[in-house]
Amino acid sequence: MSKKILIIEDDLVLQNSLDEFLKAEGFETIVAIDGEIGVQKALTEKPDLILLDIVLPKKSGYEVLQEVKENEKTARVPIILLTNLGSLSDVEKALGLGATTYLVKADYSLDEITKKIKEILNLK
Amino acid sequence: MLGHKLKNFLDSEFNLRKQADELGVRVWETPSFLFIVMGFVILVAMAGVYFISNNYDSPDVLVISESTVVVILFTIGNFIIRSVDQVTRANKMKTEFIAVASHQLKTPIAEINWQIELLLSKFPGGLSEKQQLLIGQIAHSSQKMARLVGDLLDVVRIDQGRLAMTNETLDLCALVAEAITNHRPLAIASGVQLQSACPVEAAKVLIDKKRMGVVLDNLLSNAIKYTNKGGKVEVFLETRDNLVQVCVRDNGVGIPAKEQSDIFKKFFRSNNSMKSSTDGTGLGLYIAKNILEQSGGKLWFKSLENVGSDFFFSLPVIKN
Repeated sequence: MSKKILIIEDDLVLQNSLDEFLKAEGFETIVAIDGEIGVQKALTEKPDLILLDIVLPKKSGYEVLQEVKENEKTARVPIILLTNLGSLSDVEKALGLGATTYLVKADYSLDEITKKIKEILNLK
Repeated sequence: MLGHKLKNFLDSEFNLRKQADELGVRVWETPSFLFIVMGFVILVAMAGVYFISNNYDSPDVLVISESTVVVILFTIGNFIIRSVDQVTRANKMKTEFIAVASHQLKTPIAEINWQIELLLSKFPGGLSEKQQLLIGQIAHSSQKMARLVGDLLDVVRIDQGRLAMTNETLDLCALVAEAITNHRPLAIASGVQLQSACPVEAAKVLIDKKRMGVVLDNLLSNAIKYTNKGGKVEVFLETRDNLVQVCVRDNGVGIPAKEQSDIFKKFFRSNNSMKSSTDGTGLGLYIAKNILEQSGGKLWFKSLENVGSDFFFSLPVIKN
């Protein structure tokens, strides 16, 4: 059974690139365009992993992260913060709130992100 | 020796024209100029007070003269504070501008890179070989732009002490091997031999993989870029006590002795390097040194002009 990935990303070009690439790699994908929809989908869709942007409309990525980690149903879902903010304070805050890892979009290829997802989900 | 040191100190601290250019203010607004004026006023004031106290019995004269000196000193002090404040604000604005501009540029760069990757890796059907080659070149240019923007942003973060590292335990040998593979095409295109030697056992280090890639990329691309056709670049890796040491050796143009003390300064490019290649920002070694130092390591070099350079770095080894 393919693993389900929730992509919470407001930039449609980036969202579409991730969506298409992960589908082609055999993942099932769900997308959310803002933080509020992101939290809802995390609760209703029960994804195996969440890719989460930080700068989002309605609810920031930090708020989404906090809500998902505080909810018993979703607390154990690994979350990869995928953003272009990359200062020490951003990384520390994200990891402190329970993110599994933190990747800077412009520094990572889709292939590298996919490898990271597979590594976290223990897939070959 | 002492005279030479004093001259260097005066050149660096009291070169008012240079300081004014660097800080973007007028000569009379530079902190050094105001400091000199203040010193002069204090000396004159002391002499004046001495003269007055010797020649006038009236305490009123003494109080008026001292008050005048205090007012003058306050005025100069105010100029110094305003000058420093102006410089600090300008510096902060510059830092913020670079940070915002770099961040805003990163999103379109990621969009271009990801779409090209998606196109070439998942939907290449219908594209001729020539078209794929051209799109690959666009991707290469975009990656270069991403690197430049990333470097500028990293410099700002280093200056603010906010460079983020996502460390993990990795085999340095494998990272070196990967970097060698990535630089093989550049070496072949430049007609430079590229060789490496790693110890049999793995050298585990705690490092941010992406940032280590930046360090190795800087050292290897510099070595290849500044080595003439037919030259050689070698990478040695050895473990010693609790350290792993990497040496990137080339027999290229080398660094002139008089420029060696500036090599790790940001935006510095030696005359030799400018002759060999116009490409480069002078940020690579500054960033590499800071990444290594933040990871508990260090970076240093030995170089002889027209003979070549050895760049070394060391990192603490992680025991099992």
